[in-house]
Amino acid sequence: MKTLLLFLTLGLHLYAGISEGDKAPDFTLKTLEGTKTYTMQNFKGEVVLLNLWASWCKGCKKEMPEFFELQKSYKKSFKIVTVSVDDKASKSQKFLQSVEKKTGIKTPFISLHDSDKSVAKAYQAVAMPSSYLIDKKGIIRLIIVGSLNSEDIEQLKLEINKLK
Amino acid sequence: MKITLLLSLILLLSGCSDKLVRVMPYEKEHFADPKMSLSPLAERAEHEGHIFLIREASAGGDSAYQGGCGCR
Repeated sequence: MKTLLLFLTLGLHLYAGISEGDKAPDFTLKTLEGTKTYTMQNFKGEVVLLNLWASWCKGCKKEMPEFFELQKSYKKSFKIVTVSVDDKASKSQKFLQSVEKKTGIKTPFISLHDSDKSVAKAYQAVAMPSSYLIDKKGIIRLIIVGSLNSEDIEQLKLEINKLK
Repeated sequence: MKITLLLSLILLLSGCSDKLVRVMPYEKEHFADPKMSLSPLAERAEHEGHIFLIREASAGGDSAYQGGCGCR
């Protein structure tokens, strides 16, 4: 009977997804440049927008300039952390440089590289891009599937202000 | 016997789990490569379509004003 329960638990675990109200899974990732390492602990006490993206994903590329503007409008207590799932960090860097040229803003947020897709797996991303709004206590408050336009960003700002 | 059968069934079905079989969205880098497109070059695809329809001589070319003869 115990064995049966164990197998059932394992089976159900495969279907269990991450949802709002869950604790944000921890991670250890390096920046795109590979110079600095970050974990979730680094963002304790701050509202975080964790964004999973890739340079091959059209929706991700579309929303990226919006994130440049969003981070620029918040100086304290809110951080955007982008996690690229590109195989090569250079592809992400190249794209971010093109956005820098276009917007005239130097990348204002932390850009991490997840080549083995460990964060995407831990957060059980169902689409690209996916964003997770995490509160000061490290709890996921909002899961956003798909890309955000300027109107969505305004709605997101209301949510961020509530958590700040 | 029944338990063994049930366990085998669970193991077998877990093999069909969505997460084990499906290519996850974050794993689609190679699928997203333009090389993987059926028509990687839009201009070339248009030209090929035009030639194909002329040879077929059945649909009257690629647009409304062409007669299917290959000429304009």
